[in-house]
Amino acid sequence: MSLGDALFGAFALPFMGRALLVLLVLSIVAGIVGVLVNLRGLEFISDGLTHAVFPGLAIGLAVGGTAGLVPGAAIAALIGAVLLTLFLRAGVTSDAAVAVVLTATFSVGVIVVSRSDDYAGELEALLFGRVLTIAPEDVVPLVVVSLVAAVAVGATLKQQVFRAFDPHGSRAAGDRGLALDLVLNASIALVVVAGASTVGTLLVLALLIVPGASARLATVHLWRLFPIAASVGAVSAWLGLAVGFGASVGAGIDLPAGSTVVAVFVVVYALMLAYRVVRDRTTRSAPAPVPARTRARTAGER
Amino acid sequence: MSDSGPVLVLRDAAFRHPGGAGIAGLRLSVAPGEAVAVIGPNGAGKSTLLRGILGLVPLVEGSMRVGGSEHASDGMIGFLPQSSDLDPDFPINLEQVVMQGRYRRLGLLRWPGRRDREVVRGALETVGLADRARRRFGELSGGQRQRGMLARALASEPVLLLLDEPFNGLDQANRDALIETVRTLKRRGVAIIVSTHDLELARQVCDTVLLVNGGQVGCGPVDDVLTLENVQECFEGVGVEIDEHTVVVPGHEGH
Repeated sequence: MSLGDALFGAFALPFMGRALLVLLVLSIVAGIVGVLVNLRGLEFISDGLTHAVFPGLAIGLAVGGTAGLVPGAAIAALIGAVLLTLFLRAGVTSDAAVAVVLTATFSVGVIVVSRSDDYAGELEALLFGRVLTIAPEDVVPLVVVSLVAAVAVGATLKQQVFRAFDPHGSRAAGDRGLALDLVLNASIALVVVAGASTVGTLLVLALLIVPGASARLATVHLWRLFPIAASVGAVSAWLGLAVGFGASVGAGIDLPAGSTVVAVFVVVYALMLAYRVVRDRTTRSAPAPVPARTRARTAGER
Repeated sequence: MSDSGPVLVLRDAAFRHPGGAGIAGLRLSVAPGEAVAVIGPNGAGKSTLLRGILGLVPLVEGSMRVGGSEHASDGMIGFLPQSSDLDPDFPINLEQVVMQGRYRRLGLLRWPGRRDREVVRGALETVGLADRARRRFGELSGGQRQRGMLARALASEPVLLLLDEPFNGLDQANRDALIETVRTLKRRGVAIIVSTHDLELARQVCDTVLLVNGGQVGCGPVDDVLTLENVQECFEGVGVEIDEHTVVVPGHEGH
């Protein structure tokens, strides 16, 4: 099998084409939302939401089979997003709030899944995804869920960035912090929903976090962060699927598709990091430090 | 709103946080181009007053009219908060920070256009930072950041500008630049309310002084109100020395 077959020809296969379409849309949206996750320091909350989605997936599967996955996850994610937003505003420290939601919902999910006949198989699919077995009828719901998140974040993008930079100033200018937080956290939740059904609840976090973090390494220009993160997501998703396909078909190495995609995301991040280190070494005259995580999580800040 | 009418009128107004702390008995009328210094000890309610005018602290008694109506319309009030605790690593340049001042007028979906960029450039020129527009905000000095935040407040083209302790921690050069900016704004007809410990500033640029300590202690022209007697009453128990220009209040200087 040639390189061209892995990179392009493979996607003529219907199941690969569906995987590429869903993952491309998802990765681009996750990249854009992920920039805000990075700027707001919401990584841990995103992690909490990935776990909150799990019982929704499990219940959806138990009630409606695979067709119940997206609706179940969407309901669970939105409930999780609202609860987390309110928790944080009530002054519960974010780590404690997230940990409570995370463990409680995850255990509910496992209990639900354990009632099914194929416990191990179902659990694996929910945790690690089923990107190569996306049914044709699931493509539209997954794309729609991603696009709703994109529209919600896109419509509030200026205000979200303002709030990320200066929450007090944003409030003084008349923005409603609670509404912005709900929109952002619900958008994260929707990305998690689409991701949970494709790369799994555990791996979707990489789609949210890695492109945003990579963009921060690549530029200090605010409005370039979003296209860079979206591009990193799209290219990584495409290469990840191609590598997985090439290894399986060409070399007989059976790589799990979702994990391969995530591995490529991380490799791209590592390349960005190397680029940044080299660039900073060569431009000593104008040192720009690797952005440190200097801010506390501020989602619930008044 | 008529051009000659007051920008802000407070009638026996009280602002109180839901938690309890507040400021009461406020009677004040501010005309276009007038600058009011709000002076009082720490905890006197100066910030509460400014945040109340902004609508961030509830009005619990009396009445407030901004530009002749019960509610300020979008962008009518500009606000410069006390030196903010902002992430110096945030990937944003000065021009983009100042543009945030336009967001209230733009609303959710509209993106900045040519007129917005012109207003931003004008605001940067007013504070003397036009040559720093593309610099990353975190790379600016503290005083330049403060002036940048003032430019952001100006970018909303306010008729009333609220400055909360704007001179804290500023060096002489930035201080002079800020005073000059305030004078320019007054000439343009912008009304200004500035909370400060700095009586020199009050004398240099303000027309009116509002002395507060949990409520209104005195209000009137600078020379009438800013007397040793009044200031001592206002800062009761804090210990005040007063000379030609400055009041020295232990625990206040060097903030």
